[in-house]
Amino acid sequence: MISLIEPFEYAFFVRALWVAGVIGIVCGVLSCFITLKGWSLLGDALSHAVVPGVVIANLFAWPFALGAFIAGMLAALGIGLVRRISGLPGDAVIGVILTGFFALGMVLISLFPSMISLTTVLFGNLLGITAADALQMLIIALSVGAIVFLCWKDLLLYTFDEAQARMVGLNVRWLYSLMLMLVAAVSVAALQAVGAILVMSLMVTPGATAYLLTQRFAGMLWIAPLLGGGLAVAGVYISYFLDVSAGGCIVLLQGGAFLVALLLGGRRVRALSALDDAGIKAPYKPTGGQA
Amino acid sequence: MSLFTYLPASRLWQLFIEPFSIDFMWQALWLGSFTAVVCALLSSFVIRQGWSLLGDAVSHAVLPGIILAHWLAIPLLVGALISGLGCIMLTGFIDARTRVKSDALLGVSYTTFLALGLVLMSLYPSSVHFTHVLLGNLLGITTEARHQLLMAGGIALLCLILRFRDLKLFCFDPRHARAIGLNVVLLRYLLLACLGLTTVAALQAVGLVQAIAMLVAPGCIAALVSRHFTRGMLLSAVIAVLSVWWGLVIAFAVDIAPGGCIVLVQALFFLLILGGVMFKRSLRKGISQRTFHSADVTMS
Repeated sequence: MISLIEPFEYAFFVRALWVAGVIGIVCGVLSCFITLKGWSLLGDALSHAVVPGVVIANLFAWPFALGAFIAGMLAALGIGLVRRISGLPGDAVIGVILTGFFALGMVLISLFPSMISLTTVLFGNLLGITAADALQMLIIALSVGAIVFLCWKDLLLYTFDEAQARMVGLNVRWLYSLMLMLVAAVSVAALQAVGAILVMSLMVTPGATAYLLTQRFAGMLWIAPLLGGGLAVAGVYISYFLDVSAGGCIVLLQGGAFLVALLLGGRRVRALSALDDAGIKAPYKPTGGQA
Repeated sequence: MSLFTYLPASRLWQLFIEPFSIDFMWQALWLGSFTAVVCALLSSFVIRQGWSLLGDAVSHAVLPGIILAHWLAIPLLVGALISGLGCIMLTGFIDARTRVKSDALLGVSYTTFLALGLVLMSLYPSSVHFTHVLLGNLLGITTEARHQLLMAGGIALLCLILRFRDLKLFCFDPRHARAIGLNVVLLRYLLLACLGLTTVAALQAVGLVQAIAMLVAPGCIAALVSRHFTRGMLLSAVIAVLSVWWGLVIAFAVDIAPGGCIVLVQALFFLLILGGVMFKRSLRKGISQRTFHSADVTMS
């Protein structure tokens, strides 16, 4: 019994727990929009693209979140621009820009070694997060939460039906930029928790799981953050006892929850999908980064 | 030392050719070029099929397979292939049975595979260096890895060349392919298997990020430079090899990671070509209203 509460005696562990929880909740909220909009690949791209920003911010001693956010927005702009002028498929353009930014980050790291460790950027360092970083993360998370809370109805309409959103007089371009900024901000926050590689999971899996469990968007908006936050905390807690990577543990739990939801909701969902599209679905046509 | 001063031929020789008289640089050059060519040929198909995310997924999902293969002492290549392709097959299986969007589903499954690998790795730290898998180790590639790379890449290359016309038809017009009696399902799996083999080969040589870059960028370049599928493909292969060469040159001169350099050079090529295409178009039509569409690429 005593051993179960043992980790709570360490300040760094308690901090890691609440940081993971907050990130999980915010990612969960956003993941509802991302999964429905088909932006998974874009989320992946932004989370990789922030890496050079982190390095440059470190170089000039800026707050780390600022550099990362700027790099993320530049990547998003680049994707939109290249896509418009080249007419290439969106997923391909995202692939090129993503890898280009990430490679730039790698080259910068190898140019200025010992300044920042690549493994920290890639895998995060939840247990070693400093108080200042935790505070930055909290500010980002709260602002994202506030923005989503204030305009979730507009975002919802934009996610489901862009044409109608435009028709009722919403500024669609602004909503698009807003959502991009939200995704970038959240990937910056989540970068510290689970690292660039696994951010994608936090930003997609809770939404996908919630989508399996409910038919209503309001329901998704409750389930996804609860799942995201709860499993993030559980993941950190379990990782203490198993002595494994905290980020990996969180993502594994998320994947497990998705699988359980799939098996639980299997029959109903199968019937629905048979109605929806007669079982015919184009295989692997990501619609990522629709602009 | 400045590049901007006048460069005599001997200096060029020193910069671009001489590094490759060193054994490991020469090996890096030819292994990298081989990988680049296989990837570039496949890349056009990948772009055509909208499979960019699949390369991403395979390359992340190989991790648990690599670690398990290391424990069981079977070739890493086999483990990587099983786990990478397994992830895709599993996703395809689930995809047909749920309404969750395909891209989200793929994201869920490959991050879960990757996380499984991470947890396995931290449970039993072993001698497999994950950073090498992730970033590649073109300059210090082991003999075993070299053999596996050549084998996997060779098989993929052979499949692509032998079944080139069928695969091309399948990508452009699967209905026509089926109508003339080709086995479309088999062709699809063949292409998937090629993707898996190539990704695993590229992972061994150049690492995860560059493997993704090599599978996506050349196809984009091909679609930009030519409307002829085959011609664009061959041109993009040439550009991919040039990127490897110059990337290695830069990495050697500045003493930085070769993988990142090669990707950056390739990305610069892409941007240059994009600029060139824009410029040419603006010469031809003033400022053109018509944008290029990859759907315009013809099969010839």
